[in-house]
Amino acid sequence: MCNHNHDEKNNCFEYVESHMPPMPLSLVVNGEMVHELADPTMTLLNFLRTRLKLFGAKEGCGEGECGACTIIMDGRTVTSCLILALEAQGSNITTVEGLSKDGELSILQQEFIRDDGLQCGFCTPGMLMSARNLLDRNPNPTVEEVKEGLAGNFCRCTGYQPIIDAVLSAAKREREELK
Amino acid sequence: MLSKFDYYRPDSLEKGLTYLQNHSDTKILAGGTDLMLLLRNNAVICEHILDIKDIPETKILEYTPGKGLFIGASIPVNRIAEEDVIREKYPALCHAADSLGSYLVRNRATLVGNICHASPGADTSAPLLVYDAKVHIASSEGIRILNLPDFFTGVKKTAVKENEIVLGVSLPDVEFGDTSIYLRKARIKGHDLCNVGLAMRLTASKEVYVALAAVEPIPLRLTELEKSLATKELNPELGPWIQEEIKKYMNPRRGSLRSSREFRLHIGGVLAKRGLLELIEKGATEYVQS
Ligand SMILES: Cc1cc2nc3c(=O)[nH]c(=O)nc-3n(C[C@@H](O)[C@@H](O)[C@H](O)COP(=O)(O)OP(=O)(O)OC[C@H]3O[C@@H](n4cnc5c(N)ncnc54)[C@H](O)[C@@H]3O)c2cc1C
Ligand code: FES
Ligand code: FES
Repeated sequence: MCNHNHDEKNNCFEYVESHMPPMPLSLVVNGEMVHELADPTMTLLNFLRTRLKLFGAKEGCGEGECGACTIIMDGRTVTSCLILALEAQGSNITTVEGLSKDGELSILQQEFIRDDGLQCGFCTPGMLMSARNLLDRNPNPTVEEVKEGLAGNFCRCTGYQPIIDAVLSAAKREREELK
Repeated sequence: MLSKFDYYRPDSLEKGLTYLQNHSDTKILAGGTDLMLLLRNNAVICEHILDIKDIPETKILEYTPGKGLFIGASIPVNRIAEEDVIREKYPALCHAADSLGSYLVRNRATLVGNICHASPGADTSAPLLVYDAKVHIASSEGIRILNLPDFFTGVKKTAVKENEIVLGVSLPDVEFGDTSIYLRKARIKGHDLCNVGLAMRLTASKEVYVALAAVEPIPLRLTELEKSLATKELNPELGPWIQEEIKKYMNPRRGSLRSSREFRLHIGGVLAKRGLLELIEKGATEYVQS
């Protein structure tokens, strides 16, 4: 999966092709059908970033801890660093790039900006995907439910409160729009 | 050395088993939340990955009155946490499923993967122990069924052989009035492995079952403690007694990263007391309702 660091744990950030025979992979990403060949050792995160040039999902820890690589796969949020690209055969994927429509940011994204829900922005695409999925499951969450819904997405910058505020105000605006 | 593997995802059990037979050095992949980490850190090196998620037998999640519950090896932990019949009939299992990792991890992690990885602190192990769960294991010779205590053989070791695939676990049906609880203590609330995990079950005939995770190399059913509980009348006065008594059955190792031996012993006692009191209360109200 990577070509260095074998004495030192936890530092494998660079993806290197294994040169095992690549296998065909078809899936829907942000509403578009994609047909590609994928190296069997490639993670879904690497596939999205290197093959599809979708740089929204980030690699933070690469171990399922930080949530920076969160995407929505068949309606469920998952950490794409822990999934092989080939496991996504036939699945329907939304990344942060799929949240905006026709160049206009979604309500959730707008509220993240308005409430200072981001600073460096590294965690933001993952946060947004977890928040999107939470609001789809629960359009009117309590503070506690937002905290639970975002657990597993780490932020080093904001102190979380602005993020929670952003999710709550997005929920409110979305409910109002539905009326 | 690096893992350079190919990937195979069969759509039948027979194909999966034949593949295992013909390809030594294969690793089985379910949710990947343990295996992907091991591969990444080169703690596991293999030539082939066998993804079992399309094998129909592993996709079953079914409760049959009189027979009980079957949880297939591809069922993610969140599906177990969300299932009403499990919440109602096997509440400890639901609590444990709900507390494993984060929501993100639970969408991929499977219960069978959790016990196959056999970490001493696997959250789903203690509830499965108090429900006398059985593990269904397939090989080309057929299916064998193991009691869960016989399944765990050591730290991260199980009785599963290289040519075998675990299809799922089964839990016998429970009678009306049967209830249970899973309590865990971790360093932080949410998203941390537990220091102690305790499952307790009160059957309809007022027997108490107890199991612990993370305090011994393998998850443990405390049958001796259960026997001494059986000689006593169940009432809240048993709280302080069980708080001390349970420590006799725990031998947590020293020098663990997450907590000291003394802390684990103490927490084990606190959880046992809290668990028993809550169960007695729950049992009493449910008894009245019936
Ligand atoms: C961030 C994070 C937090 C976590 N927190 C917790 C926690 O709080 N509590 C906890 O208990 N666990 C925790 N875990 C670990 C937990 O996710 C795993 O133990 C999970 O349940 C394993 O299931 P899986 O389907 O992902 O298994 P995989 O990773 O796919 O497999 C695990 C092992 O079991 C073998 N295996 C899997 N399925 C089968 C089968 N059907 N037959 C034979 N062998 C099989 C695999 O070969 C592998 O060796 C955490 C993991 C992460 C990444
Ligand atoms: S990069 Fe996937 S969880 Fe951290
Ligand atoms: S904004 Fe920097 S990590 Fe969250």
